[in-house]
Amino acid sequence: MTAAKRVLAKKWIPSLLAAAGMLAILILLAGNETAMNGIQRSLALISSGILNLFGQNTVVIGTTVQSSLFGISVVTACTGIFITGLFLIAVVALPTRWTAKLIGAGIGIGSIFLVNIVRLVSLYFIGVHWPGFLDQAHQLIWQSLLIVIAVAMWLLWAGRWAYAPRTN
Amino acid sequence: MPRVQTNRMSPLAVMLLRFVGIFVAVLILLALIWPLITPVTTQLATRVARVGFHIAEAPNVSVLEARGDELWVHRIVGPGQITPFTWFDRYTFFALIPLMALFAATPGLGWIKRLTRLGISLVLLFIIQTSYVVVSVQLSYAAIGLTTVGPIATRMLDGWQVLVRVLWEAAPLVLWVAFTASTWTRQLRGLREEQKLCRETRSKGITVLRTEARKGWES
Repeated sequence: MTAAKRVLAKKWIPSLLAAAGMLAILILLAGNETAMNGIQRSLALISSGILNLFGQNTVVIGTTVQSSLFGISVVTACTGIFITGLFLIAVVALPTRWTAKLIGAGIGIGSIFLVNIVRLVSLYFIGVHWPGFLDQAHQLIWQSLLIVIAVAMWLLWAGRWAYAPRTN
Repeated sequence: MPRVQTNRMSPLAVMLLRFVGIFVAVLILLALIWPLITPVTTQLATRVARVGFHIAEAPNVSVLEARGDELWVHRIVGPGQITPFTWFDRYTFFALIPLMALFAATPGLGWIKRLTRLGISLVLLFIIQTSYVVVSVQLSYAAIGLTTVGPIATRMLDGWQVLVRVLWEAAPLVLWVAFTASTWTRQLRGLREEQKLCRETRSKGITVLRTEARKGWES
């Protein structure tokens, strides 16, 4: 076996298999109505809690955050599950130490979750104050921002942990 | 006398800030132009998707129409009779814009390579997006019983719909990664070497300082 083939077998194959496994988990999770309903409702409850801290009298009905002024429905695409899944696939696919991968998973899940909450809260306020701008903010701005934030977080992780020189 | 070390940002932070800054600037610029070009892209997507529907369907039961920036899919329900089935808004093809912004923000890529790779990626993404239109409509037909599929395929329909959605969402990122992975690897390896060098220089500096201090103390 040549050196290149050995590197491929030792480093890349387990990582790519893990990435394929992660993709399968993502598809199973996104296709599971009960699990997705739970995630959507949790996000709706957290967003509603934050909005109420800002004096908005919102309630959660199913997976919808509703007030007398406006309502946002948290659907599967709004959960950030796809971008989180892609981030995790990218983390797992890079051949590096498993501790670094765990750090990457934590960074990705945590940051995308936080950004998504900010996104939902901001979309509510945009819906209340600038309804004409809601469509653009929802589809253009936040979609693109989520992409660049996920990419930046991945690069930060790769530069700081995955490609970091070993200290020993 | 040792130099006072200023609190500079790490090269990684500089690179990331530059990347995000260029991405956002280019995205804003292109998003402003987007409404002007979207009727053209929708028209083009409609033409390409028509070919896809002809391949996927026998007999061809879908009629496509570009209405401004929306792509409408009608279904033939009888001789000379069509009914609207679904539509795709302009955001279906919006990922072309972030893809351009991602390529613009990628560091360490020459202009010819950048434009060539961007061109290929845009063509591939456009094909993926129009394929998404064709496949998602075919899956919808199957889900509501307008097309007959086997029992196993019926059970897997949800999974297929999610997979198609994931591929559609992931396509711009996957293409960008595929065409810039080598550049990023080079950049990150460069940073690693720089970090290593900094660490070595710092530890050497500390040793020199310690020796100097000892000499001074002994004298």
